[in-house]
Amino acid sequence: MRRIGRRSAIGLVVALTLTGCGGANTSTESGTGNGLEKTTLTVGVLPIADVAALFIAQQRGFFKAEGLTVNPQIVASTVVAIPKLVSGAVDITLGNYFSVLSAQEKQMAKFRILADTFQAKPDVFDIVVKGDSPIKSVKDLKGKKISVASLNSIGTLAVDSTLRVNGLDPKDVQYVPMAFPDAPGKLAAGQTDAAWLTEPFLTGVQKDMGARKIADTMTGAMADFPIAGWTTTDSVLQKYPKTMAAFQRAIVKAQQIADSDREAVEKVLPSYTKITPEAASVITLGSYPSSLNPTRIQRVADIMLEYGYLKSKMDVTPLLVPMPQ
Amino acid sequence: MIDPRVVRGVVGVAGLLAVAEAAGRAGLMDTRIMPLASTVVARAAGLAVDGEFLQDVSATLGVWAAGLVVAILLAVPVGVLLGSLPRVEAAVRPLIEFLRPIPSVALIPLVALIAASDARVKVTVIVYAACWPVLVNTMYGLHDVDPVAKDTLRAFGFGRLAVLLRVALPSAAPFVLTGVRLAASVALVVAVSAELLAGGAGGIGVYIIKAGSGYRVDLMVAAAVWAGLIGLAVNALLVRAERVLFRWHAARAGVAA
Repeated sequence: MRRIGRRSAIGLVVALTLTGCGGANTSTESGTGNGLEKTTLTVGVLPIADVAALFIAQQRGFFKAEGLTVNPQIVASTVVAIPKLVSGAVDITLGNYFSVLSAQEKQMAKFRILADTFQAKPDVFDIVVKGDSPIKSVKDLKGKKISVASLNSIGTLAVDSTLRVNGLDPKDVQYVPMAFPDAPGKLAAGQTDAAWLTEPFLTGVQKDMGARKIADTMTGAMADFPIAGWTTTDSVLQKYPKTMAAFQRAIVKAQQIADSDREAVEKVLPSYTKITPEAASVITLGSYPSSLNPTRIQRVADIMLEYGYLKSKMDVTPLLVPMPQ
Repeated sequence: MIDPRVVRGVVGVAGLLAVAEAAGRAGLMDTRIMPLASTVVARAAGLAVDGEFLQDVSATLGVWAAGLVVAILLAVPVGVLLGSLPRVEAAVRPLIEFLRPIPSVALIPLVALIAASDARVKVTVIVYAACWPVLVNTMYGLHDVDPVAKDTLRAFGFGRLAVLLRVALPSAAPFVLTGVRLAASVALVVAVSAELLAGGAGGIGVYIIKAGSGYRVDLMVAAAVWAGLIGLAVNALLVRAERVLFRWHAARAGVAA
């Protein structure tokens, strides 16, 4: 172990001192039998249920069958994942649509979506309060503190929409940005009045601290809301079209399995998060779409515009990469 | 005989653990939020034989060592240069004092946008944080050189370079090593923080992200305990190195050995 550490340390030092710039790409760029432009892909993943299909594809050899080696790289949030994609540190990343469309409007890069990954279902994103909280319904949230994963995100959009349906304005509450793992503790300590959570935290807080659900945020206009897709940039796509097509073929096969076979998802979850197998077997999962439907993704842009998260109307169709034949 | 200081240290740690355990058991601390001390210790022990975690530890040590080495290679020569050229130092000093307090962790999103690989992001921010203690200590070390010794050498006709090599550098070396020791702790803090913020293929911070996303506070705390233990070990090693290498300095400075 120590030897590996030392060797990689020396390697890094050499790389850093000798090469001023340019990609320290470890990926093989030589062609293969399948005509792939490169065979190794670094893919940014968040350790959440959304990416289960990637690990199913990995374990069942779907990438290998396409001649691909996929190296998953854990990222803490899409906020970090997008800069990594722009700089080329990852080739593809899990991107939640909200953040990708925001970044697209700000012209951080030309983003392209390769495949749909995750779609909301009832009780995948709820607002919860402490068991003994006086807050009984969404209306009681007026003037209260609600934790969301980050500001200007799918979290605030989902809560905004829930508030509006219940006759409140987003300005009536105070959003507190907080990573999901920190939120249960702050809620229990009374530092926040409510928390917008997803799994496994949702099941966790209801079981461990008797937290009470007051609203499912993915209902009405937000029902079955598209959450995230496998995202790359236009320049990567232009450079490696066949490689991206191979990734699409492999991931869609795994999406179909993830969507139809819950046990397959439960089995891979503990391999890339530290969730216990018992928790994995009871959490509520979203769905895993296997087609990239323009009408569905357009909804995200339209609702973002309606709630002021986008400045102008955006046509998402040019962002979507058609499925290869 | 066991060093009485070690014994006192062990008593201190055991006392803290006992208090934490008692607070948890008595219901003063919510164990659903902060696990019992005994649970954390058990998990930490389990991690010591967890192959996946050990790979993460070695990934962290890899970027830590790389960052520290680059920081030393950069900061020592610059420190020597500035320490021996007071006018240049006076010119650069405000810049150093401006850059030094910028938390390198705050630079992560910016560096991630520029650096084309994950390891580079981490090494860059580690170097940024770790070079200041080495640089400043090297500069101070060179200021602190005995003027009589320098003058004596000059009187015997030795040139600037000879004075630097024979008097200034040996005299500054203990300060440099102190700077390295401080930098080693800073580098470890930044390495784990960078992993927590930027993620990566592996690392203690990445393990904490995975534990957090699985709603496993016990494993998050246990991994953090290991980060602390590694810091403790690194510091102890460098303190020992200081004592062995620069015994004469400690004697001169009147530091109890």
